[in-house]
Amino acid sequence: MLKLAGAALVLFAGTMIGFMQAAKFAQRPRQIRQLIHALQRLDTEIGYGQTPLPEALARIAAALTAPVSTLFAEASAKLASGNGETVSVCWEQAFKAGWQATSMRPPERDTMLRLGETLGGSGAEDQLKHLKLAMHQLQAEEQAARDDQQKYEKLCRSLGVLTAALVVILMM
Amino acid sequence: MQDGKGGGSLSLPLLELFPAGLRGRLEKLPQTLLLSLEEIRVREGRPLEIGFGGGSAFVCPQGKAVTDSADAYRPTREDCRALLERVTNHSLYAVEEELRRGYVTVAGGHRIGLAGRTVLEGGHVRHLRDVASFNIRIARARTGCAASLLPELLDPVARTVKHTLIVSAPQQGKTTLLRDLARAISAGQWYHPQAQRWGGRKVGVVDERSEIAACDRGVPAFDLGPRTDVLDACPKAEGLMMLVRSMSPEVVVADEIGRPEDAYALKEALHAGVRVVATAHALDLRDVFARPVLAELASEGMFGAYVLLSRSGGVVRHRVVGADEAEAEARKSSGCRSVPVIRSPNADGVRHA
Repeated sequence: MLKLAGAALVLFAGTMIGFMQAAKFAQRPRQIRQLIHALQRLDTEIGYGQTPLPEALARIAAALTAPVSTLFAEASAKLASGNGETVSVCWEQAFKAGWQATSMRPPERDTMLRLGETLGGSGAEDQLKHLKLAMHQLQAEEQAARDDQQKYEKLCRSLGVLTAALVVILMM
Repeated sequence: MQDGKGGGSLSLPLLELFPAGLRGRLEKLPQTLLLSLEEIRVREGRPLEIGFGGGSAFVCPQGKAVTDSADAYRPTREDCRALLERVTNHSLYAVEEELRRGYVTVAGGHRIGLAGRTVLEGGHVRHLRDVASFNIRIARARTGCAASLLPELLDPVARTVKHTLIVSAPQQGKTTLLRDLARAISAGQWYHPQAQRWGGRKVGVVDERSEIAACDRGVPAFDLGPRTDVLDACPKAEGLMMLVRSMSPEVVVADEIGRPEDAYALKEALHAGVRVVATAHALDLRDVFARPVLAELASEGMFGAYVLLSRSGGVVRHRVVGADEAEAEARKSSGCRSVPVIRSPNADGVRHA
């Protein structure tokens, strides 16, 4: 009886791990898409509205869902707090702190950090170019993430169940 | 006109503008010095300087005022980059037009002059990059500083002010005076026994550099009186016409006129029955009649009175000259114009031309 309960637990845990890994693969392209939308919005705020950066970032955060919105909200709050730090410092801190909660990987993080180094520091024309570049890079990452999703999402799910089953069989 | 000590609140909100490296040192300056602060000059790799009550000093790394520039703190590249970011609210792209003109105005009406390397396009300045010099001019309202001047500018027949041009070298208190004139005229405080029942006049202010009113989202931060409308950040020529058409002002106020289109707009306003109070950069009346745009206005007898400002220490002196007198004075001295000898206004407050 005890053995049966243990086997059920192992099976359940393995399945869950598999599902969580699969969910990460599914979320990554979605979150990258959100980043692209955010940058498109920023593009408009800078190009047409000439909205100051702290306000623009706050507006972007309001239009997104967590955990991606947290990144922008945090950066905006740090900028507005008046501690005398530069955009690149605030941006880096916000993205490094909030990144753990997302399903995204280092390539897109590096793209965003590189963008942060130039943000707010030049004329509108130049800013738009940097935003375009970052968006292109993110689009490439999104495509790669979708391919990964197709390849690994189902695999992860079945792998979780099967590994758990294997462990159970070995234990029997 | 006594300039006095009463600067009102300490400029601590202004100090928040500075990145930590600079703020820490400025905050350590003695309280009395901070209260009389007029300018903070930040130059990359060169001594940090402050100007106060007619004098100037350098700031040493420990936050003390020193006279020897060798002991002074030298702002680093990071200091300057962070300062530029903060004065532009982290958004250089939103102040491109201002950068082209060489200054930005921050909350509170403090104007920050910038110098660096210009980027040209078709022979015109397109952009300012590598900004390495900042001149932070601290704006203060000195309520009542127009009290001794205004009675001399009254036009008893029309029961309002004469067309007035305030003339002085930079940093003598033109804008501060203009601000208080607008407030007094708007509030009907004429400082004259005969004028007690005149009441206030509707005042329109064209605040191209956001210095006179220091508007925050359209609402003046300084007291400009109860009957004042402010057109914020608007080019003077266009703004004067807009005000005359839309707000029916009885007096229009504009700072630092000098471009040809300003003259045209001023003439329009003058002939529309609106009184004009304006300022211009010039050392004396000869300069007024030597600057093409001002000369054109002056020779047509546009202005009823000229106010000349000079300042020594914390005291601003003024002299009011009538139109005829001014023209005579300018004509008399125009023949024997010598090379101007300009001494620092801080030395003894006297400039020779």
